[in-house]
Amino acid sequence: MSKFLGQFTNHLVRYATWLPPLICFNNYVAQVTFISGPSMYPFLNPQYHESLRQDLCLVYKMYAQQNLDRGMLVTFRNPDDPDKITVKRIIGLEGDMVRTKPPYPHEYFQVPEGHVWVAGDGDKSKDSNYYGPISIRLITGRITHILSPWNRAGRVKWWEHPVHRNGDVNAGN
Amino acid sequence: MSGGQFGGLIGDLLGHPFRTVIFAGKFLAFTHLFFEYGIQTAPAQGPSMLPTFELLGQWLVVSRRHRFGRNVEVGDLVAYNIPVDENVGVKRILGLPGDYVMLDTPGRESQAMIQVPQGHCWIVGDNLAASRDSRYFGPVPLALIRGKVVATIKPFHFQWVEKNLFHRENRSPAN
Repeated sequence: MSKFLGQFTNHLVRYATWLPPLICFNNYVAQVTFISGPSMYPFLNPQYHESLRQDLCLVYKMYAQQNLDRGMLVTFRNPDDPDKITVKRIIGLEGDMVRTKPPYPHEYFQVPEGHVWVAGDGDKSKDSNYYGPISIRLITGRITHILSPWNRAGRVKWWEHPVHRNGDVNAGN
Repeated sequence: MSGGQFGGLIGDLLGHPFRTVIFAGKFLAFTHLFFEYGIQTAPAQGPSMLPTFELLGQWLVVSRRHRFGRNVEVGDLVAYNIPVDENVGVKRILGLPGDYVMLDTPGRESQAMIQVPQGHCWIVGDNLAASRDSRYFGPVPLALIRGKVVATIKPFHFQWVEKNLFHRENRSPAN
Protein backbone atom coordinates (compact mmCIF):
# COMPACT_ATOMS: atom_id res chain seq x y z
CA MET A 1 0.00 0.00 0.00
CA SER A 2 2.71 2.46 0.94
CA LYS A 3 4.58 1.47 -2.21
CA PHE A 4 1.49 2.32 -4.24
CA LEU A 5 1.15 5.67 -2.47
CA GLY A 6 4.80 6.46 -3.10
CA GLN A 7 4.53 5.72 -6.81
CA PHE A 8 1.27 7.61 -7.02
CA THR A 9 2.79 10.73 -5.47
CA ASN A 10 5.81 10.39 -7.69
CA HIS A 11 3.66 10.34 -10.82
CA LEU A 12 1.49 13.17 -9.55
CA VAL A 13 4.47 15.41 -8.94
CA ARG A 14 5.95 14.52 -12.29
CA TYR A 15 2.74 15.40 -14.14
CA ALA A 16 2.25 18.55 -12.09
CA THR A 17 5.56 19.91 -13.34
CA TRP A 18 4.00 19.97 -16.83
CA LEU A 19 1.32 22.37 -15.66
CA PRO A 20 3.34 25.62 -16.00
CA PRO A 21 4.43 24.86 -19.60
CA LEU A 22 0.83 23.98 -20.41
CA ILE A 23 -0.51 27.22 -18.96
CA CYS A 24 2.15 29.19 -20.84
CA PHE A 25 1.18 27.41 -24.06
CA ASN A 26 -2.47 28.29 -23.51
CA ASN A 27 -1.62 31.90 -22.68
CA TYR A 28 0.83 32.65 -25.47
CA VAL A 29 0.49 30.13 -28.28
CA ALA A 30 -2.96 28.64 -28.73
CA GLN A 31 -6.01 27.63 -26.81
CA VAL A 32 -9.14 25.64 -27.54
CA THR A 33 -12.32 27.19 -26.25
CA PHE A 34 -16.10 26.94 -26.44
CA ILE A 35 -18.02 29.96 -27.72
CA SER A 36 -21.05 30.96 -25.69
CA GLY A 37 -23.82 33.28 -26.70
CA PRO A 38 -25.48 34.47 -29.91
CA SER A 39 -23.42 37.58 -30.65
CA MET A 40 -21.59 36.06 -33.64
CA TYR A 41 -24.74 34.50 -35.15
CA PRO A 42 -24.85 33.16 -37.83
CA PHE A 43 -21.09 32.64 -38.13
CA LEU A 44 -20.62 31.03 -34.72
CA ASN A 45 -23.33 29.22 -32.74
CA PRO A 46 -25.88 29.36 -35.61
CA GLN A 47 -28.17 27.07 -33.65
CA TYR A 48 -28.03 28.95 -30.40
CA HIS A 49 -31.83 29.11 -30.19
CA GLU A 50 -32.43 25.41 -30.77
CA SER A 51 -29.48 23.64 -29.18
CA LEU A 52 -27.24 23.87 -26.15
CA ARG A 53 -24.27 22.79 -28.22
CA GLN A 54 -21.54 25.39 -28.45
CA ASP A 55 -18.98 25.81 -31.18
CA LEU A 56 -15.46 24.72 -30.33
CA CYS A 57 -12.82 27.07 -31.66
CA LEU A 58 -9.07 27.40 -31.82
CA VAL A 59 -7.76 30.73 -30.53
CA TYR A 60 -4.32 31.60 -31.83
CA LYS A 61 -2.56 33.90 -29.39
CA MET A 62 0.83 34.70 -30.85
CA TYR A 63 1.28 38.29 -32.07
CA ALA A 64 -2.40 38.83 -31.25
CA GLN A 65 -2.11 42.62 -31.19
CA GLN A 66 -0.15 42.92 -34.43
CA ASN A 67 -1.27 42.98 -38.08
CA LEU A 68 -4.92 43.36 -37.22
CA ASP A 69 -7.24 43.69 -40.19
CA ARG A 70 -10.89 44.34 -40.88
CA GLY A 71 -12.98 41.19 -40.79
CA MET A 72 -10.78 39.29 -38.31
CA LEU A 73 -12.43 37.50 -35.43
CA VAL A 74 -10.63 38.51 -32.26
CA THR A 75 -10.92 37.62 -28.60
CA PHE A 76 -10.42 40.40 -26.09
CA ARG A 77 -10.99 41.19 -22.45
CA ASN A 78 -14.35 42.87 -22.14
CA PRO A 79 -13.91 46.57 -21.33
CA ASP A 80 -17.02 46.44 -19.15
CA ASP A 81 -16.00 43.31 -17.26
CA PRO A 82 -12.27 42.54 -17.01
CA ASP A 83 -12.86 38.88 -16.13
CA LYS A 84 -14.80 38.16 -19.30
CA ILE A 85 -13.25 37.25 -22.66
CA THR A 86 -15.37 38.29 -25.64
CA VAL A 87 -15.33 37.33 -29.33
CA LYS A 88 -16.17 39.93 -31.97
CA ARG A 89 -15.28 40.89 -35.51
CA ILE A 90 -13.05 43.87 -36.26
CA ILE A 91 -15.02 46.42 -38.29
CA GLY A 92 -12.70 49.40 -38.30
CA LEU A 93 -9.03 50.06 -37.62
CA GLU A 94 -7.58 53.23 -36.18
CA GLY A 95 -8.39 56.24 -38.34
CA ASP A 96 -11.34 54.55 -40.05
CA MET A 97 -14.67 56.30 -40.14
CA VAL A 98 -17.28 53.74 -39.11
CA ARG A 99 -21.03 53.98 -39.27
CA THR A 100 -22.38 52.99 -35.88
CA LYS A 101 -25.57 51.22 -34.87
CA PRO A 102 -28.33 52.55 -32.59
CA PRO A 103 -27.21 52.57 -28.99
CA TYR A 104 -24.19 54.62 -30.00
CA PRO A 105 -24.87 58.36 -29.73
CA HIS A 106 -23.21 59.47 -33.00
CA GLU A 107 -23.96 58.06 -36.42
CA TYR A 108 -20.39 58.28 -37.68
CA PHE A 109 -17.30 57.87 -35.58
CA GLN A 110 -13.61 57.98 -36.32
CA VAL A 111 -11.67 55.25 -34.52
CA PRO A 112 -8.94 56.86 -32.37
CA GLU A 113 -5.26 55.86 -32.26
CA GLY A 114 -4.47 52.48 -30.74
CA HIS A 115 -8.09 51.38 -30.89
CA VAL A 116 -10.30 49.23 -33.11
CA TRP A 117 -14.02 49.12 -33.66
CA VAL A 118 -15.49 45.66 -33.01
CA ALA A 119 -18.98 44.34 -33.60
CA GLY A 120 -20.80 41.05 -33.51
CA ASP A 121 -22.31 39.54 -36.64
CA GLY A 122 -25.69 39.02 -35.03
CA ASP A 123 -28.31 41.40 -33.71
CA LYS A 124 -27.92 40.28 -30.11
CA SER A 125 -24.47 41.69 -29.60
CA LYS A 126 -23.03 44.01 -27.02
CA ASP A 127 -20.10 45.50 -28.85
CA SER A 128 -18.43 48.78 -29.74
CA ASN A 129 -21.88 50.20 -30.43
CA TYR A 130 -22.39 50.00 -26.67
CA TYR A 131 -19.00 50.67 -25.15
CA GLY A 132 -17.22 52.47 -27.98
CA PRO A 133 -13.91 51.56 -29.63
CA ILE A 134 -11.70 49.14 -27.71
CA SER A 135 -7.98 49.46 -27.10
CA ILE A 136 -5.80 47.09 -29.10
CA ARG A 137 -4.10 46.22 -25.80
CA LEU A 138 -7.25 44.38 -24.72
CA ILE A 139 -6.99 41.88 -27.58
CA THR A 140 -5.80 38.45 -26.46
CA GLY A 141 -6.03 36.34 -29.61
CA ARG A 142 -7.76 35.63 -32.87
CA ILE A 143 -10.04 32.80 -33.88
CA THR A 144 -8.39 30.90 -36.70
CA HIS A 145 -10.25 27.58 -36.81
CA ILE A 146 -13.61 26.11 -35.95
CA LEU A 147 -13.05 22.61 -34.58
CA SER A 148 -16.58 21.46 -33.88
CA PRO A 149 -19.25 20.82 -35.19
CA TRP A 150 -17.73 18.85 -38.04
CA ASN A 151 -19.84 20.26 -40.86
CA ARG A 152 -18.47 23.76 -40.27
CA ALA A 153 -15.03 22.74 -39.05
CA GLY A 154 -12.08 24.34 -40.75
CA ARG A 155 -10.22 27.55 -41.18
CA VAL A 156 -12.00 30.80 -40.42
CA LYS A 157 -11.93 32.67 -43.72
CA TRP A 158 -12.20 36.14 -42.25
CA TRP A 159 -10.88 37.73 -45.42
CA GLU A 160 -14.05 36.69 -47.25
CA HIS A 161 -16.23 38.82 -45.00
CA PRO A 162 -17.64 41.91 -46.78
CA VAL A 163 -16.00 44.22 -44.26
CA HIS A 164 -12.60 43.08 -45.47
CA ARG A 165 -13.37 42.30 -49.13
CA ASN A 166 -14.89 45.63 -50.03
CA GLY A 167 -12.59 47.63 -47.82
CA ASP A 168 -15.90 49.19 -46.92
CA VAL A 169 -16.01 49.84 -43.22
CA ASN A 170 -19.75 50.38 -43.33
CA ALA A 171 -20.56 47.01 -44.87
CA GLY A 172 -20.65 45.17 -41.57
CA ASN A 173 -23.25 47.43 -40.11
CA MET B 1 16.99 6.55 -12.89
CA SER B 2 20.75 6.41 -13.22
CA GLY B 3 22.82 8.84 -11.30
CA GLY B 4 26.39 7.67 -11.02
CA GLN B 5 27.87 9.13 -7.92
CA PHE B 6 25.37 12.03 -8.01
CA GLY B 7 21.97 11.52 -6.49
CA GLY B 8 18.69 13.29 -6.98
CA LEU B 9 18.10 15.93 -9.63
CA ILE B 10 21.72 16.41 -10.73
CA GLY B 11 22.05 12.71 -11.29
CA ASP B 12 18.87 12.66 -13.33
CA LEU B 13 20.04 15.46 -15.63
CA LEU B 14 23.76 14.74 -15.99
CA GLY B 15 24.47 13.14 -19.36
CA HIS B 16 20.85 13.44 -20.51
CA PRO B 17 20.71 16.50 -22.78
CA PHE B 18 17.08 15.95 -23.79
CA ARG B 19 16.01 15.64 -20.17
CA THR B 20 17.99 18.77 -19.31
CA VAL B 21 16.30 20.82 -22.02
CA ILE B 22 12.86 19.67 -20.84
CA PHE B 23 13.75 20.55 -17.27
CA ALA B 24 15.01 24.00 -18.27
CA GLY B 25 11.81 24.62 -20.23
CA LYS B 26 9.62 23.64 -17.30
CA PHE B 27 11.67 25.79 -14.97
CA LEU B 28 11.46 28.80 -17.27
CA ALA B 29 7.70 28.37 -17.61
CA PHE B 30 7.34 28.16 -13.84
CA THR B 31 9.37 31.28 -13.16
CA HIS B 32 7.55 33.12 -15.91
CA LEU B 33 4.20 32.27 -14.36
CA PHE B 34 5.50 33.46 -11.00
CA PHE B 35 6.32 36.88 -12.46
CA GLU B 36 3.05 36.87 -14.39
CA TYR B 37 0.74 36.03 -11.51
CA GLY B 38 2.77 36.78 -8.39
CA ILE B 39 5.30 39.55 -8.01
CA GLN B 40 7.11 41.45 -10.72
CA THR B 41 9.85 44.06 -10.61
CA ALA B 42 10.41 46.69 -13.26
CA PRO B 43 12.45 49.87 -13.61
CA ALA B 44 10.55 53.14 -13.35
CA GLN B 45 11.40 56.03 -15.60
CA GLY B 46 9.86 59.28 -16.70
CA PRO B 47 8.65 62.42 -15.00
CA SER B 48 4.93 61.65 -14.77
CA MET B 49 5.00 60.32 -11.20
CA LEU B 50 7.32 62.93 -9.63
CA PRO B 51 7.69 63.39 -6.69
CA THR B 52 6.38 59.95 -5.67
CA PHE B 53 8.90 58.21 -7.89
CA GLU B 54 12.19 59.54 -9.08
CA LEU B 55 13.04 60.28 -12.67
CA LEU B 56 15.44 57.35 -13.07
CA GLY B 57 17.14 54.58 -11.19
CA GLN B 58 14.24 53.34 -9.15
CA TRP B 59 12.68 49.92 -9.45
CA LEU B 60 9.08 49.11 -8.67
CA VAL B 61 7.68 45.96 -7.11
CA VAL B 62 4.34 45.20 -8.76
CA SER B 63 1.89 42.77 -7.22
CA ARG B 64 0.29 40.98 -10.15
CA ARG B 65 -2.36 39.56 -7.88
CA HIS B 66 -4.08 42.89 -8.45
CA ARG B 67 -4.12 42.39 -12.22
CA PHE B 68 -7.30 43.44 -14.01
CA GLY B 69 -7.96 45.83 -11.15
CA ARG B 70 -8.75 43.15 -8.62
CA ASN B 71 -9.06 44.64 -5.13
CA VAL B 72 -7.60 48.00 -6.11
CA GLU B 73 -8.80 51.11 -4.34
CA VAL B 74 -8.82 54.80 -5.06
CA GLY B 75 -5.34 56.12 -4.29
CA ASP B 76 -3.48 52.95 -5.27
CA LEU B 77 -0.57 53.15 -7.67
CA VAL B 78 -1.00 50.78 -10.57
CA ALA B 79 1.05 49.60 -13.53
CA TYR B 80 -1.09 49.44 -16.64
CA ASN B 81 -0.90 48.78 -20.35
CA ILE B 82 -1.21 52.19 -21.97
CA PRO B 83 -4.32 51.93 -24.15
CA VAL B 84 -2.98 54.06 -27.01
CA ASP B 85 0.52 52.63 -27.47
CA GLU B 86 2.57 49.55 -26.63
CA ASN B 87 4.20 50.58 -23.37
CA VAL B 88 3.50 50.10 -19.69
CA GLY B 89 2.82 53.09 -17.47
CA VAL B 90 2.47 53.74 -13.75
CA LYS B 91 -0.24 56.06 -12.48
CA ARG B 92 -2.49 56.65 -9.49
CA ILE B 93 -6.13 55.55 -9.49
CA LEU B 94 -8.39 58.52 -8.85
CA GLY B 95 -11.73 56.95 -9.69
CA LEU B 96 -13.32 53.53 -9.86
CA PRO B 97 -16.59 52.57 -11.61
CA GLY B 98 -19.38 54.87 -10.47
CA ASP B 99 -17.13 57.60 -9.09
CA TYR B 100 -17.36 61.15 -10.40
CA VAL B 101 -14.06 62.60 -11.53
CA MET B 102 -12.90 65.84 -13.03
CA LEU B 103 -12.26 65.65 -16.77
CA ASP B 104 -9.61 68.34 -16.92
CA THR B 105 -6.65 69.42 -14.82
CA PRO B 106 -7.65 71.17 -11.58
CA GLY B 107 -7.18 74.93 -11.91
CA ARG B 108 -8.18 74.99 -15.55
CA GLU B 109 -11.31 76.76 -16.66
CA SER B 110 -13.36 73.65 -17.37
CA GLN B 111 -14.90 72.14 -14.27
CA ALA B 112 -16.68 69.35 -16.19
CA MET B 113 -16.97 66.01 -14.44
CA ILE B 114 -17.85 62.55 -15.69
CA GLN B 115 -18.92 59.35 -14.02
CA VAL B 116 -16.39 56.56 -14.51
CA PRO B 117 -18.16 53.85 -16.57
CA GLN B 118 -18.58 50.24 -15.59
CA GLY B 119 -15.37 48.20 -15.74
CA HIS B 120 -13.14 51.26 -16.08
CA CYS B 121 -11.00 53.42 -13.84
CA TRP B 122 -9.69 56.97 -13.95
CA ILE B 123 -5.92 57.20 -13.61
CA VAL B 124 -3.81 60.32 -13.31
CA GLY B 125 -0.11 60.89 -12.75
CA ASP B 126 1.09 62.71 -9.65
CA ASN B 127 2.96 65.24 -11.75
CA LEU B 128 -0.05 66.78 -13.46
CA ALA B 129 1.96 68.97 -15.81
CA ALA B 130 4.04 66.13 -17.27
CA SER B 131 1.69 63.20 -17.34
CA ARG B 132 -0.26 61.65 -20.17
CA ASP B 133 -3.14 59.91 -18.46
CA SER B 134 -6.93 59.63 -18.36
CA ARG B 135 -7.19 63.36 -19.00
CA TYR B 136 -5.77 62.55 -22.44
CA PHE B 137 -7.14 59.09 -23.32
CA GLY B 138 -10.19 58.87 -21.08
CA PRO B 139 -11.19 56.14 -18.65
CA VAL B 140 -8.98 53.04 -18.84
CA PRO B 141 -10.50 49.53 -18.85
CA LEU B 142 -9.62 47.69 -15.64
CA ALA B 143 -8.58 44.78 -17.88
CA LEU B 144 -5.49 46.80 -18.86
CA ILE B 145 -4.23 47.02 -15.29
CA ARG B 146 -1.20 44.80 -14.80
CA GLY B 147 -0.87 45.11 -11.05
CA LYS B 148 -0.51 47.31 -8.03
CA VAL B 149 2.78 48.97 -7.10
CA VAL B 150 3.50 47.82 -3.57
CA ALA B 151 7.10 48.88 -3.02
CA THR B 152 10.06 50.64 -4.57
CA ILE B 153 13.67 49.52 -4.66
CA LYS B 154 16.69 51.72 -5.00
CA PRO B 155 20.12 50.19 -4.70
CA PHE B 156 20.36 49.04 -1.05
CA HIS B 157 17.09 50.65 -0.13
CA PHE B 158 13.70 48.95 -0.04
CA GLN B 159 10.58 50.92 0.77
CA TRP B 160 6.91 50.03 0.90
CA VAL B 161 4.56 52.32 -1.00
CA GLU B 162 2.22 54.17 1.33
CA LYS B 163 -1.13 55.24 0.07
CA ASN B 164 -1.18 58.86 1.16
CA LEU B 165 -4.40 60.14 -0.38
CA PHE B 166 -6.61 58.87 2.40
CA HIS B 167 -6.40 57.52 5.88
CA ARG B 168 -7.17 53.85 5.63
CA GLU B 169 -9.82 53.91 8.35
CA ASN B 170 -12.25 56.65 7.42
CA ARG B 171 -11.27 57.39 3.79
CA SER B 172 -11.37 61.12 4.45
CA PRO B 173 -8.73 63.39 2.95
CA ALA B 174 -5.49 63.52 4.91
CA ASN B 175 -4.52 66.65 6.87
